Amino acid sequence: MTFPVKGLNAETGREPEELLARIRGLFGEGAVVDVRAHTAGLKEEVQYRDIWLSVDKGRFLEMIDVLAEFDFPMFYVMSGNDDGDVVTLYYHFGIFQCAGRGKRFGVAVSVALPKNDLVVPSLFSRIPGVEYSEREMREMLGITFDGLPNTALVFLPEDWDEAVKPWRRDETGPKPENVRELS
Amino acid sequence: MINMLLEKYLDILPKSLWVTTCNSGSCNGCDIEIVATISPRYDIERFGMKLVGTPRHADVLIVTGPVTRYMRDRLLRIYNQMPDPKAVVVVGNCGASGDVFYKSYNLDGPVDNIIPVDVYVHGCPPRPEAIIEGVAKAVLKLESLKQQKKAGEADS
Amino acid sequence: MEKKYTIPIGPVHVGLKEPITAWLDLEGEKIVGATIRPGAIHRGIEFMARDRNPIQVIYLSERICGICSFAHVIAFLRAVEDAADYPVPVRAQYIRTLVLELERLHSHILWAGVACYSIGFDSAFHLGMVLREKVMDVLEALSGNRVNYGVATVGGVRWDITPEVAKAVGEMVKYYKAEFGAFYDVVTADPIAKARMRDVGVLTADEAVRYNAVGPTARASGIRCDIREMSPYEAYADFNVKAIVPQDYYGKAYGDVFDRFLVRVLEVQQSLNIVERVMDGLPEGEIVHEKNLNKVLATLKKAEGTGWGVIEAPRGDDTHVVHLKAGEENVNWWKVRAPTYANAVSWPLMFRNNELADAPLIINSIDPCISCMERMLVTDAAGGKKVVTKAELLEKSREKTRRLMQK
Repeated sequence: MTFPVKGLNAETGREPEELLARIRGLFGEGAVVDVRAHTAGLKEEVQYRDIWLSVDKGRFLEMIDVLAEFDFPMFYVMSGNDDGDVVTLYYHFGIFQCAGRGKRFGVAVSVALPKNDLVVPSLFSRIPGVEYSEREMREMLGITFDGLPNTALVFLPEDWDEAVKPWRRDETGPKPENVRELS
Repeated sequence: MINMLLEKYLDILPKSLWVTTCNSGSCNGCDIEIVATISPRYDIERFGMKLVGTPRHADVLIVTGPVTRYMRDRLLRIYNQMPDPKAVVVVGNCGASGDVFYKSYNLDGPVDNIIPVDVYVHGCPPRPEAIIEGVAKAVLKLESLKQQKKAGEADS
Repeated sequence: MEKKYTIPIGPVHVGLKEPITAWLDLEGEKIVGATIRPGAIHRGIEFMARDRNPIQVIYLSERICGICSFAHVIAFLRAVEDAADYPVPVRAQYIRTLVLELERLHSHILWAGVACYSIGFDSAFHLGMVLREKVMDVLEALSGNRVNYGVATVGGVRWDITPEVAKAVGEMVKYYKAEFGAFYDVVTADPIAKARMRDVGVLTADEAVRYNAVGPTARASGIRCDIREMSPYEAYADFNVKAIVPQDYYGKAYGDVFDRFLVRVLEVQQSLNIVERVMDGLPEGEIVHEKNLNKVLATLKKAEGTGWGVIEAPRGDDTHVVHLKAGEENVNWWKVRAPTYANAVSWPLMFRNNELADAPLIINSIDPCISCMERMLVTDAAGGKKVVTKAELLEKSREKTRRLMQK
């Protein structure tokens, strides 16, 4: 199921408040972590906004579907961190990319995954462009994406020991013998 | 450290050298300065040096970048495909010592861990004039080896 | 029945974030499929940032890529300033915009030269390299180095624009307006270039959105997206920058190599205009919010949060995400997504239904800095082998131009 691509040259955008109201209605107040307004230029006026959301693993796909009701979410990057006993993933999207000056807003969705169950549904069937990012997160943090067809290594060489995950800070992370000092 | 087999072939060393490049993991800053040496302002072709695409035709190998694990094998293969006499020039700080990339899980060391190097050109990135000087020094080094060998033969 | 081949290309492509190995499936001369394998320049930079403080990471982020180095620095600094809520004075915003546009100029001119080189137009390549030198002179006058300038810092910039630099910029703009005409002719008047580049490497608008193409690659397919217009940052807030799409000039966007050439050539002219307006409107004031680096580091040490910076690099949208932890001076984690990373996903789509002779042109067209295809090994199903070198592949590409010229 892929999202319909609507309004490539759309002149209409919508206000962030509409999206926020819908998210709050469906997921509760705690889902919206932060709304940041960015200023620039001589007059220090607000130019654009970023929205930071947070959601549970079980309702993650629902959240993405809500975003897609407004516009095809343009995927930027997926970043993550090892935070002790959870691994937090941040998905970064852009909404209303073609709607005109100052109308785009960035949406960042964070999902916390407990370390004993590092599985999250894959977005590949909805947004094919996430393929490389999901493969990268798999090899760097050890997360399994349910529904990702191609799970080959993307950045690490073929003779890399797959048990070592370079970005983890616990026992599966790189040990001192894996890290080399050149000079 | 000069390749010891080089001495046998110094007599047939041509005067104008053909150069090939290999990027073993660099940020491309040095590679673009190398391409800038062919541009009309710096013009390495007035010395007869030209950039060829294949190691089998080349006399000098220019290497940039700290060697990543993926490229280590390929760099060795390119070096072995070059016919003797040959010289290796390392351009940029990464290949010489790692520069800012001094500690990582995917890097296999400065270039002289993998292949023997004759000339180092330092800088991040070095100016095109410095690169031309570096390649010219490789020529001079090989020429002086030739002279030494001739002097050695004349004595014996 | 035509023979089936699988050809590996690469991995030495100077200019991508990593040299990429591409495996092309051929039937005769037509490409029917392609697989990409990145990973040759993975240096572990995000891992290295864990034991450096934000000021030290600036010098690491400059060396991610040699051509769009300043774009990475500014995206990183915007992410840090977002996480720590750090202000930037207006004069510094204008100077940052100036250097960003100068970088866009030299990147696009380099690309135009290399694209012409791969279709056989050698004199345009040398013209492009000579034109680039003017921009490098201005950058050297401002910062002291041709690449990796070291101009920006947290909360502003380090070097100011002196009258000499202003004069050099004015001369450069005048010179370009006179000399850039040859490239402009390629897209407007030259019939051979049109025959060679039209309908080659097509990426439709629908696919460009689904596969998240960014920058000139997406704009050539008709999508009106430009971060400078949609989410204005730095000095672009005061200028009205419009995304350049081919349908405004030729009525329809085909999404092929010709459209990408057109978009980049017109962007050069747009950049020249922006540079002039920045120099005219440069406001007075401080160039950095806090000069003392120890105080800056102390403020960043107390900051806590995640910041996200997106800017329009010459190749597309460059994204950096930074997390700072209160009480620690070092960066907690850092994630970089360079624009070519997003564009490379659409290569297999662009390769379909094209001939092998077009392969250098298509690989070049998303602008992976310089494409330096090293060697190719041709094996056919019966097991025979033949080694094809870069020179031969390039010759194939130029042969096709000659064939078209004779028609």
